[in-house]
Amino acid sequence: MNDEIFLNEAIEVVAVFRPGRTMCEPVKFRRANGREVVIREIGLRHPTTQGNRMVHMFDVSDGEADYRLEFDAERLTWRLCMEGDRYEMA
Amino acid sequence: MLNDAKPLIMHIDLNSCFATVEQQARPMLRGRPVAIVNRRTEHTMIVTASYEAKAMGVKLGMSLKDAKKICPELVGLESDPAKYKFVYHQLMRIMNDYSAHVRMKSIDEGVIDFSEATAAVQARDLSKVGEEIKQRLRDEVGVAMRCNVGIATNRFLAKTAAGLNKPDGLDVITHHNLREVFSWLELTDLTGIAGRMEHRLNSVGIFTPLEFLDASEAVLRGQVYKSIDGTAWYKRLRGFEVDKRDFPLRSSGRQYVLEEYKMPPEKVVKRLHHLCEEVGWKVRSQGMVARGVRVHARSYKHEGSGWRGGYWQSRHMASVPFSSNMAIYEIARQLLDKAPYPLKEIGVTCYELSEPDDHQLLLFGDDLVREQAITGVIDSVNTRYGRRVMHSADTLGTEDSVKEKIPFGSTRYM
Repeated sequence: MNDEIFLNEAIEVVAVFRPGRTMCEPVKFRRANGREVVIREIGLRHPTTQGNRMVHMFDVSDGEADYRLEFDAERLTWRLCMEGDRYEMA
Repeated sequence: MLNDAKPLIMHIDLNSCFATVEQQARPMLRGRPVAIVNRRTEHTMIVTASYEAKAMGVKLGMSLKDAKKICPELVGLESDPAKYKFVYHQLMRIMNDYSAHVRMKSIDEGVIDFSEATAAVQARDLSKVGEEIKQRLRDEVGVAMRCNVGIATNRFLAKTAAGLNKPDGLDVITHHNLREVFSWLELTDLTGIAGRMEHRLNSVGIFTPLEFLDASEAVLRGQVYKSIDGTAWYKRLRGFEVDKRDFPLRSSGRQYVLEEYKMPPEKVVKRLHHLCEEVGWKVRSQGMVARGVRVHARSYKHEGSGWRGGYWQSRHMASVPFSSNMAIYEIARQLLDKAPYPLKEIGVTCYELSEPDDHQLLLFGDDLVREQAITGVIDSVNTRYGRRVMHSADTLGTEDSVKEKIPFGSTRYM
């Protein structure tokens, strides 16, 4: 199976809100260990619900790994939910 | 005689939809062989594969373990229905911008009928509209999203056109090129023609789509289909529309492959209860009631009884229509008691669906009316606060295994 690491890590995020494909564009985030990840591409943003809370899932990449960020629109919090395989560049 | 009208039916098909959506979401997976599975185990079956995986011989229905033997770099991902539903709604939104007459046939394909659009829209070159939709999909959903577009005078030929050049094709079939297109294809390349029908056609000397097209209406109606279906095929092949109709909901069901080998009956029943709650919600969400419940199962070989394993089903038709979870479960539970354990898969279907007749319901007393009221309250709570916020205590814990799955057919419930 694909080596995805499933997490539930509180992160700090810098994001730009502007008209466009995703309307909210996370630019970079800082992990609990202090490491900063600069986002090179936002793959997809899709809304989902957890109970009556709207949660937005952002699938992003820094060019070396894929990440899934979760933005809770009620609590206004960001969490890192998944880190995908780090593939060696061909 | 072929239909020589302007082609005004457009069929749009997302290429390897779920795998493409995952590659859109995960840039590191683009260009790599990806397979989507329903469960994160090696023995699970592949639901769909990316074009890179298909090029290596990975096929739908193959186990992930077997697929990795022929494609060691294959990346297996668990399906994410929320993501695919979002993309489905985006595709539908884009299509609705061009015509009010959009029919989504499944989660990854739909038809736009321009024949009832305004004269201004009909006057447009539909190939350019198709290219515009492709570009909008890339711009508004993501750069990796690709779709096939087929344009023709009827739904059948439009779907055929959409399948000609995958991925990312755009093709038009008219009376000018119909014979040429048919000369490229096999019989089973035509929608609606699979193994059994192919043999029936072969039995009357029809081996190719061109021979199918050239067959007379009398042969198709009298010898092949032995019914009015033969006339429908005669017209369909020539580009005349015979498929523009809505199909009423006749049944609704849900099935589940048990996650444990030789699962004990008490655990199987809990999962059955969960399925009954889902089917009940589906029936009620369409404003319907049911008269029948069918339970089916696939079982392993049963030592000692002579049962060789395989498919089993049982059904019951009630005298009073119902739609509550409890009513469905009570019937389903009794039916499942006769199933040949050990089981590997179970399924529940409600059939004989109809619109509720409140007068009939009142005849059968207060209990039914009370049950209906309680069910309504539960549905309101779940609609407001989330799926399965309120459910039977018996099904506690089953949501970890019986997860939401991708609807492969109708998208009524999306």
